[in-house]
Amino acid sequence: MVGRSAPPAHLAVRGIHKRFGGVHALKGVDFEVARGEVMALVGDNGAGKSTLMKVLAGALTADEGQFFLDDRPVGVNSPNDAAALGIQIVYQDLALCENLDVAANLSLGTEPVKPGWGFLPRLLRPLDELEMEVRARSAIDRLEVRTLQSVRAKVGGLSGGQRQAIAIARAVGAQSTVVMLDEPTAALGVAQTRQVLEVVKRMRETGHAVVYISHNMRDIFEVSDRICVLRHGSNVATYRTADTNPDEIVVAMTRGLDPSTSDAA
Amino acid sequence: MQPDARLSLLDRFRALRRTQFGTFVPVLFALAVIWGYFGLVMPLYDLATGAADSFRVIFLSPRNIYNLFMQSSVIATLAVGITVVLLLGDIDLSAAATAGVCAALLGVLVLAGVPGWLACLIVMAIGTLMGLAQGLLVAYVGIPAFVVTLAGLLGFQGLMQKILPTGNLNVSDPFVRGFARVLIPDLWGVALGIVVVALFAYGSLRKQMKRRARGLEIDSPLALWGQVFLFGVIVISVILTLNAYRSLPLLLVLLVGITGLLGWITTSTPFGRALFAVGGNAESARRVGMKVKRIRAAGFGIVGLMAAIGGIFGASRYGSVSYTAFAGGSLLLEAIGAAVIGGTSLFGGRGSVWNAILGALVIGSLGNGLDLTGASAADKLMVSGAILLLAVAIDAVSRGDSAGSR
Ligand SMILES: Nc1ncnc2c1ncn2[C@@H]1O[C@H](COP(=O)(O)OP(=O)(O)OP(=O)(O)O)[C@@H](O)[C@H]1O
Ligand SMILES: [Mg+2]
Repeated sequence: MVGRSAPPAHLAVRGIHKRFGGVHALKGVDFEVARGEVMALVGDNGAGKSTLMKVLAGALTADEGQFFLDDRPVGVNSPNDAAALGIQIVYQDLALCENLDVAANLSLGTEPVKPGWGFLPRLLRPLDELEMEVRARSAIDRLEVRTLQSVRAKVGGLSGGQRQAIAIARAVGAQSTVVMLDEPTAALGVAQTRQVLEVVKRMRETGHAVVYISHNMRDIFEVSDRICVLRHGSNVATYRTADTNPDEIVVAMTRGLDPSTSDAA
Repeated sequence: MQPDARLSLLDRFRALRRTQFGTFVPVLFALAVIWGYFGLVMPLYDLATGAADSFRVIFLSPRNIYNLFMQSSVIATLAVGITVVLLLGDIDLSAAATAGVCAALLGVLVLAGVPGWLACLIVMAIGTLMGLAQGLLVAYVGIPAFVVTLAGLLGFQGLMQKILPTGNLNVSDPFVRGFARVLIPDLWGVALGIVVVALFAYGSLRKQMKRRARGLEIDSPLALWGQVFLFGVIVISVILTLNAYRSLPLLLVLLVGITGLLGWITTSTPFGRALFAVGGNAESARRVGMKVKRIRAAGFGIVGLMAAIGGIFGASRYGSVSYTAFAGGSLLLEAIGAAVIGGTSLFGGRGSVWNAILGALVIGSLGNGLDLTGASAADKLMVSGAILLLAVAIDAVSRGDSAGSR
């Protein structure tokens, strides 16, 4: 389905199946993304985009399917597996802890600890709070979230857009090669959305493999190199952004592939 | 004048709550009200109505304060443990029964000739296992904590009756009795207090300097020195008051030490951060790779350990183990009440073990004060209920922003 000129895939999955009880959310989906590329993932509500992202991030385990990183088969059965492979994600529901402050959320699960306490298990070593705040500051500054007063503010007291910015900062701040953003701009204002699109472009330039989910066709056509269309938990097709147009994508999303355009690539 | 200056009282109160020491405000307030009532208002009233011919300092006398602290210590020990599971968003109804089983076992073991220190270690291990077993059921089998620990409560109550068929056992082992009996000499107690306050001041100051060096936002000097001053005044005046009657009991030093350790673990280690994260949003915690199940189970293990320690402290203080003092009495509800009065949320992710100690003091003061005024058991229950409700209401109102959603 992918054109000959497609770059070699960095992360690829084949034949992913995922069932939730009676709901067959993913029916043998293939997906791939290359380094230095922005792959857009589109589909109607309930098409299975978020489910596919969660499977890639290890938050859900696929019922069937294979994972490849640079053509090497890998297993992704937990969020730790994914993080170890350099996969980071901004979840659609953000997955922040509202009772913790911004700095704590940004380093959740990867808290820095002070050196010199090696005799204790890692879970019981003292946190390096200052390092945490320094990192948080630089991650926030990179996204230029100017309305955020303090990295010590509790996330529960922030606006929806500020929270989204923090979730994005967490994913792009970590050591990663693959960054997946699930509707990252849904709650953002015009200026913040621009900021996120700039961040996405910058990540492409630094050789990241970026997956970008959105319902906004303008944003998608602005940042993406390829567009993968899902419908009812199956692939429709993958288009090169330069060779297609929003109308064609919308038709593919809502009605599937017209026989006459089935050779689109 | 300026619109900013016209903050309503409630807004100011909420702003205060958001500061680092703000979480202590409601419980300290409750404590001040109760002490003021029993210590000042009641004697003055008696004086005015002629019921007493002089101002009688009973409640706030060093002797009574000493007893108050000792009475509250078992509740506090359990409340500190329960706070840990409350942070996770779970609850442990079996803590008092676990304490009872551990205390009963302790009594039986020392009676059988096991050395006191070994018996203590054994029951601490058993308490931890009892908590951990329930934690495994909650975390790995997925049974709600309420149900598991309710079953634990019933089962352990029965178990305690099995261990103590007569319902009562005297404990005279000198090691076990020592916790409540050993007193730190007056001078040593004061020295210990000064060292602790100095360390606190040094730690705060060092943190401030490091923050400045790394260009991070810093607390105002007023807040910093205010904290150190308040902390110092509380520590030193408590020690001096206890010295005025007897001396600082070892039991209180141990309780504060253990609470300090748990306080440090819950706020300053990745494990503690995980406790808060799981309580705040368990799914987020899972998705960032935290071992949510293990952390849950560990939390219950910690309550079990604290319950065992509470059992040891109780046996040490009373010199006996009785069914009604632990499993069958009001200890459980008092301990949960203490944690909640301290400001720990029942919904998880918010609270502190230090507040549990203050909450235990509130509960203890209330019981003690009502006892002094000759109130009946019925009065005590009703007043305790009202205070619990009031404390939670203060918490909900002062939190404001999230009161609706949580
Ligand atoms: N945890 C779950 N339990 C049961 N069904 C689920 C679960 N998560 C997703 N589904 C189902 O899987 C299907 C795909 O959902 P998914 O969230 O992946 O859609 P989506 O493409 O991200 O939609 P949207 O654009 O609205 O975000 C839906 O039918 C949904 O009901
Ligand atoms: Mg979605």
